[in-house]
Amino acid sequence: MLSFRIAARFLKSSPGQSALIIAGIAVGIATQIFVGSLITSLQDDLIDSAVGSSPHITLTAADDDATVSGELAAAAAKDEPLISTAVPVRTLSAIFSSGEDSVPLSITGADAAGLDTIYKLSDRLVSGAYRLGEGEALVGAIFADKYGVAEGDTLELLLPSGSIAELEVSGVFDLGQATANERVVFIDAGSAAEALGLADDEYTAVQIQLSDVFASAEVAERLASDNDVEATEWQAENEQLLSGLSAQSGSSTMIQAFVLIAVALGIASTLAISAVQKTRQIGILKAIGMGDAAAGRIFLWQAALLGAGGTLGGIALGYGLIALFGLVPVPFSIRPEPSFIALSAAIGMTVALLSSVIPARSTSRLDPIEVIQNG
Amino acid sequence: MADLLVAEELEKVYGEGEAATYALKGVSFTLEQGEFASIIGQSGSGKSTLLNMIGLLDTPTSGQVLFDGENTTALGRKGRARVRNEGLGFVFQFHYLLPEFSVWENLTMPAQIAGRAITADAKRRALDTLALLGLDGLENKNANQLSGGQKQRVAIGRALMNRPKLILADEPTGNLDTANTAVVYELFRTINKELGTTFLIVTHDRKVAQQTDRILEVLDGELVQDVRNDYAR
Repeated sequence: MLSFRIAARFLKSSPGQSALIIAGIAVGIATQIFVGSLITSLQDDLIDSAVGSSPHITLTAADDDATVSGELAAAAAKDEPLISTAVPVRTLSAIFSSGEDSVPLSITGADAAGLDTIYKLSDRLVSGAYRLGEGEALVGAIFADKYGVAEGDTLELLLPSGSIAELEVSGVFDLGQATANERVVFIDAGSAAEALGLADDEYTAVQIQLSDVFASAEVAERLASDNDVEATEWQAENEQLLSGLSAQSGSSTMIQAFVLIAVALGIASTLAISAVQKTRQIGILKAIGMGDAAAGRIFLWQAALLGAGGTLGGIALGYGLIALFGLVPVPFSIRPEPSFIALSAAIGMTVALLSSVIPARSTSRLDPIEVIQNG
Repeated sequence: MADLLVAEELEKVYGEGEAATYALKGVSFTLEQGEFASIIGQSGSGKSTLLNMIGLLDTPTSGQVLFDGENTTALGRKGRARVRNEGLGFVFQFHYLLPEFSVWENLTMPAQIAGRAITADAKRRALDTLALLGLDGLENKNANQLSGGQKQRVAIGRALMNRPKLILADEPTGNLDTANTAVVYELFRTINKELGTTFLIVTHDRKVAQQTDRILEVLDGELVQDVRNDYAR
C-alpha cells in the first residue's frame, strides 16, 4: 500500500491541480447522469403516453368473421410470463348523430375490471363514476365536450346491424390522446355481445398488456403461432415513434460518449503532467529500491483516487441538477435509475483507470539513472 | 576481511563504431567489508559512471559487478532494485529527498519500500540515526522546511536506515559549505567505525579524498592509481 500512500500524498501536495481534475470528472459524470436520466425518463414518459393506456398486443381470429373464446386470454396469460394483463373484448363500430353531424365511434365492450387493467379508466375519469353496468357507457372528454354529452345523458347509437342502441353515460374519461377522447366509447360486455349477436363465450379480440413493452413483437409472434390467431402489436403500428426514440437514444449515447472522452483526455493529460512533475521523486524512489510495478501503481492509484472523488462528486452534482430540473414547470420529471447511476460510476472509474495506463507505463519504465544524471 | 565488492573489467561505451565513446575502459578493483575509500578524478573522468555501475543504477557494456558474492550483472531490473534497497545506501550531491513527505517518512522510505513494518526496534534505530545526525526533534518537519545541510544529513540517514553494507556517496558535500562538509565527513567516519559500514565516496576534491583510507584515481575512464592512505584518521 506504499504506492497508494505516495499517490495520495502526491495529490495532496498539488491541491489545486487535484481539485480541478476532480471537478472535471464530476462535471462529466454529472452530465452523463443528467442527460442519460433525462432521455430515459423522457422516453419512458413518451412510451407511457403512447401505449401505457392501450393494448400492446391484440389477438383476433385468423378468419375475419370468426370470434375468439374467453379462454384464449387465460391461456395466453398462462403461457407468457411477460403478459401483465389479457382481457377478452368485443369491439364494434357505431354511428352517433348529433343534428347534422354523424360521428363514427369505436366501441369496446368488456368486463369493467378487466378494461381498467389496460386503460386505467378509473384513474382517468374527469366526471361521473367508473361503472359499466348493463346499458351503461363511458365516453371521451372531447366527445362529451363537443356534443354536450354529460353523465346521466342517453346516447343513441346506430349499430352495424341497423338497429339503435340506447346507452346511459356513466362517466367521462381522458386518455391523453385526442383521437381516443373523441372516438372511443367503452360499454359493458353484455351490451356488446347483444349488439354483435355473440354468445357468452364469443369475443372479437383479446387485448394484452406486457410488463416489457418492447417485447411485444416476439410475444405477438409466439402467441400467433401457438394459438393460431392473428396478433397485431403496437410497435408495428408506431414506427415513427420508435424511430424517433431510437434517434433520441443514439444522440444521447453520442453526447455521453463525447463527454466521457473529454473526461478521459482530461485525466490522462493531468496524470501525464503529474508524471513529468514527479519524475525526480519517482527516480529517487527507484534508486532506493522501489520496483517498476510499484512505481507504476502510484499513477494507477492517483487515477483511482481522482476517479472515485470525481465520480462521487459527479453523482451528487447529477442528483443536484435533477433536483434543480424538478423546479422547472414542465409536465415531466426525471427519475434517475439506480442501475444507471451505478453504471455511470463504473464507467467513470474505468475511464479514470484507463487514462492512467500511459503515465503508469512510462513511470514503470523510467530508469533512475536518468534522474540521477540529469539532477 | 571478506570481499564485499568486486568490479571486474567494467567497460561503458556510448555510441557505436567510429562514434563510440569510452566512459570506462576495463576498470577492476575490489572493496573489502568495512573499508572507507574514495574515487577521485576530474570532471568527466568517469568516476560517477563507475559509481553508478557499482550502485546498479547503470549497466556496464561489458564486465561485471559482484556484490556480497552475488553477480549483479546477471540480475534483472527487479533484482537490481532489491539489491539497491537492501544492500546499498546512496548519498548524492543533491539530497533527493521527497518534498511531499516528512523527515521521518523520508528516513523510513527504504524500509517501507522493502515492505518492512516499522517495528519498535526499527523506530529506535531511526531515532538513534536522527540523534547521530543531529536532527533530533525534526522528524515531523516537512523535508522542505530544512536547511541545505539538514537535508543532506536526512539523505545520509535515509541511506543508513536499511543498515546497508555499502554506502555510495557521489560528491556528497558538493552543495554544502565548509562547516557542513566537515560535519558530514565526521558522520561518515563515525558510522564507518561504529557500524562497520563500507563507504565509497566519489569526489573531485583531493583534500576530501585524503580523509579516506584508500584512494582510487580515475582518469579518462581508466583506474590509474589505487593507493592506501595511511595519513587518514
